Amino acid sequence: MSTLSEHGIGGIFQRYPIITRILKNILIFIVTMLILSVVVFVIARLAPGDPLVAFYGDAIETMSDAELDAARHRLGLDGSIALQYVRWFGGILAGDFGLSLQYKIPAMDVISPLIGNTLILGVTAYLVVFAIAVVVAVFCARYEDTWFDRAICKIGTATYFIPSFWLGLVLILIFSINLGWFPSSGAYDFGMQNNLLNRLEHMVLPLIVMIASHVWYYAYMIRNKFTDENRKDYVLLAKAKGLSKNVILWKHSLRNVAPTIVNLMAISIPHVLSGTVIAEAVFNYPGIGNMAVAAAKYHDYNLLMLLVLITGAMVILSSIVAYMINEVIDPRMKDSGGSVWEK
Amino acid sequence: MGEVTDSMFEIVGSEYREYVPGNVKRSRFAVLRKLPWVSIVVLSVIVLGCIFAPLFCTHDPSMFYLDHLNEASSEEFLFGTDSLGRDIFSVIWFGGRTSLAIGVLGTVMITVIGIAIGCVNGIVGTRADTLMQRAIELFHSIPTILLCILLMALVGTQNVLTLSIVIAITGWFALARIVRSEVRQIRANEYVLAAKAMGSSFRHLVFAHLLPNIIPAIMFVVISSVSSCITMESTLSFLGLGLPLEIMSWGSMLSLANRALLMNTWWVIVIPGLFIIVTLTCITTLANLFRKESNKKSSRL
Repeated sequence: MSTLSEHGIGGIFQRYPIITRILKNILIFIVTMLILSVVVFVIARLAPGDPLVAFYGDAIETMSDAELDAARHRLGLDGSIALQYVRWFGGILAGDFGLSLQYKIPAMDVISPLIGNTLILGVTAYLVVFAIAVVVAVFCARYEDTWFDRAICKIGTATYFIPSFWLGLVLILIFSINLGWFPSSGAYDFGMQNNLLNRLEHMVLPLIVMIASHVWYYAYMIRNKFTDENRKDYVLLAKAKGLSKNVILWKHSLRNVAPTIVNLMAISIPHVLSGTVIAEAVFNYPGIGNMAVAAAKYHDYNLLMLLVLITGAMVILSSIVAYMINEVIDPRMKDSGGSVWEK
Repeated sequence: MGEVTDSMFEIVGSEYREYVPGNVKRSRFAVLRKLPWVSIVVLSVIVLGCIFAPLFCTHDPSMFYLDHLNEASSEEFLFGTDSLGRDIFSVIWFGGRTSLAIGVLGTVMITVIGIAIGCVNGIVGTRADTLMQRAIELFHSIPTILLCILLMALVGTQNVLTLSIVIAITGWFALARIVRSEVRQIRANEYVLAAKAMGSSFRHLVFAHLLPNIIPAIMFVVISSVSSCITMESTLSFLGLGLPLEIMSWGSMLSLANRALLMNTWWVIVIPGLFIIVTLTCITTLANLFRKESNKKSSRL
């Protein structure tokens, strides 16, 4: 207590800088989410089409004025836009995200059973993509400028140009329609929700699509970072010591490339989520991406707003986490404050 | 010292430009031979084919040949017909016009927005710059495709112009970032200071010094965005949020894919996709011409 009284509340922050950083990150997260929610809300309210019509359909023409007012009140459409926003935001804090205009039930109830499906697909794809990317990158760097490296670079660039939805269509055409190896749609067969094998079977094709459309971009970046690293003096020293190439790459270079990989993993989250949207839509996989497409077609803004906010929160949170992980694995970052990624 | 050799200009680090010795002049023939001729020829064939489509297309692309639904390729219908009975060969060339138009239109908009915002970002003071960077990061935190879906739902009408605008609104971040860093580098140069000291106006600074210097740096991104616009168009149209079926494009052709899957008619899916991929590959090969080559030391591994 004595330190507290001597230095006041600022003393804690001075003694434990980690607390300052965590508080700062939480503050950044809250502020960005606030701004994001305002932007999303205003955009959704400016949109053409009356939400009332979207919710009640033709029934609106036969309603009396009192009924209309009640209906507006129920959907939170009365009052100025600022008031509407405050009410909507207050509702969010209380866990109420508004009604889905299409399904007439709370938007959160529509989405919550789907989040799990998307997370399973997204997280699996994410981990597999980066595992493959690092291995491919190391091998390319190991055999830099040999036929092996060049062949992989050519193949990788070629896969990068294939639109992912089209790849999905072709895979369905080949493997589920003509060969019948994998199911073409859904996340599980009816009543097999907890059957892991059944889920895996449904996930193979979407996973291939997501891996093929993402892996090369990251593998190439990591490969280039490794080849840059190979030109540094410490590699020469390690080689002079008699270490094998594999040891140098996996033990010495990898440690220096790790911050880049973590940064890439943070930046890649919106991309991978984009990938899930497309993969889910092609394979009719019940997830939030597929739901977003359906909601957009129906002009279900309440649902869309929620989906955008959820994905935004996931992305911002993960980038903060990545930044903090980077500080742990690379102490140099603490002072510079910048990321190694942006040059 | 004697003569100047390349090895004297090997600088360590990744952020330097290639040293091109002034006295070595590459012959015109050598320059020409280095161009990616295959890509240029293929891309020209596609572009010219789309422009002059009415001259060689034997069928009306908007005609529904109802007694020729889902036919495989034959002499009459070179690429077969789709589930509406349209001749795919004609639809490809006429639809290519729309796809390429969106690619070019979207790129023009991306370039204008990207340069404008990047320049402002590079010129304003540190605090405003940080604020704008944060704003860009915020936008970036929403997956592009989700942002496009949201905006397409908001726009309501679906045509070439609105689709290009939506694609441009979601696609300028990368370009703005490059322009910003280039501008910051350039404005620290002495010649800008000299020009300012001589009393040149802001407009003169921008058009005489800034723009000519950033153009080489952004060429790669600008040309690549043609391909990203085409991809985005086809993805959105496939999802049913881009162009409707009446407006022919490579993307809207693929929106028939689900029916094609049911009928197992592969040509409806494969042919537009191949056209998209070939076009994208050619465009990117061209874009690679503008990439700065970093001079490489030999590996120490």
